[in-house]
Amino acid sequence: MTNAIEIQRLCYRTGRTFEIKDLDLHVPQGAIYGFLGPNGCGKTTTIRLMLGLLRPLAGRMTLLGSAVPRDVASILARVGFVPEQPHLDPMLTVRETLAFHAAFYPTWDRPWAERLRVQFELPDGQLFGRLSKGQKGKLMMLVALAQRPELLVLDEPTDGLDPVVRRDVLSALLEYVSQRQATVFISSHLVHELERFCDWIGVMDDGRLIIEVPMERLKNGIKRLRIGGTPATPDNAPFVLLAREPANGTGETWLVREWEPHMATYFDGPGVSLHEVIDLDLEEGFVELLRSFRGPRA
Amino acid sequence: MFEHLNPRSPIPLYEQIANRVRLAVASGELRPAAALPSVRQLATELRVNPATVVQAYRDLEGEGFVEMRQGAGTFVREVAPQARARERARQAAALVRELLAQAARLGVSRQELQAAVAEEIGVGAP
Repeated sequence: MTNAIEIQRLCYRTGRTFEIKDLDLHVPQGAIYGFLGPNGCGKTTTIRLMLGLLRPLAGRMTLLGSAVPRDVASILARVGFVPEQPHLDPMLTVRETLAFHAAFYPTWDRPWAERLRVQFELPDGQLFGRLSKGQKGKLMMLVALAQRPELLVLDEPTDGLDPVVRRDVLSALLEYVSQRQATVFISSHLVHELERFCDWIGVMDDGRLIIEVPMERLKNGIKRLRIGGTPATPDNAPFVLLAREPANGTGETWLVREWEPHMATYFDGPGVSLHEVIDLDLEEGFVELLRSFRGPRA
Repeated sequence: MFEHLNPRSPIPLYEQIANRVRLAVASGELRPAAALPSVRQLATELRVNPATVVQAYRDLEGEGFVEMRQGAGTFVREVAPQARARERARQAAALVRELLAQAARLGVSRQELQAAVAEEIGVGAP
């Protein structure tokens, strides 16, 4: 299977404080890839590098099979991008904005753009700079979708938008994906929003990708275990131990990844018992992952 | 019909969607030949991945609950009454398993649970 986005050993540095070091990232074709991470962890920088807006110090990147930054002009014709900050000209009206963008993209879908404009209730003659925040968010998504891209790169596309607008914007995105097998790369810190539709998850922290897995595997595999007794730290456990801490009273709480039900037999030893396996949702799993990544390594 | 979908549940969304349809077919809420929403409609409406809807429909097709006709849509099949009864029994068993797991977590004993079930159903009521 080819990857729509492939990044190998990417390095980038600004000043002394921030660095992306040896970043590897793979987005399978047709995936909806959720790119998670706390503010300031390097998500936007990674996206800017990936679109040729910044130059890396080292590393290899391909988008839709072509090399970045070498082929970036031809790649960008096939990529829809919604940046974090509004990037459209504030002095153009909605109608002018659409006409302007249509001229750049041979694939531009004029009827659908008009249908979306009506659906999004965007006033034709209003200047972009005079639109509300929600209307700006909708127009930015419209412009990215109407070019009918093979790949959508969305940097916090719903950040700061109200729930109604978020719903409209995401519905339009998913409608497009169900018509066309497009790949979506969407960064967000609204974890529960991604939980509905992403099938891959990458989590970034401090300039590194700390995990990249199919969503179901991440969600089903992350558990909190309530354990009686204090088992020895496992050497060859079939799961990944992320953290362990004493529980109140006796026993311990473990946080594990890659858990499967049959692994309960691992706790059959003398003086040790598994009391409970607690499911975590994506948000809890995400918080625990970050905590264990930042904490002292076991 | 799908308003109780819970993305935070450890049960995958495709399984939740498929299960809701199984239940609707078993209970008669969905009649034979009824059309299910298109993949695009459902994905857009529920804001889920279209692949999730496709997987749910494929599973249902494999089990004989629905038929996917190329270009036309997905339709409920005629399901024999015995098969529908079996499905309801399966759903009932799942409910009970969930109840037992909850009770164990809360420290409710089997006897207490049985008494409560009898009381609620009205068997042991005076």
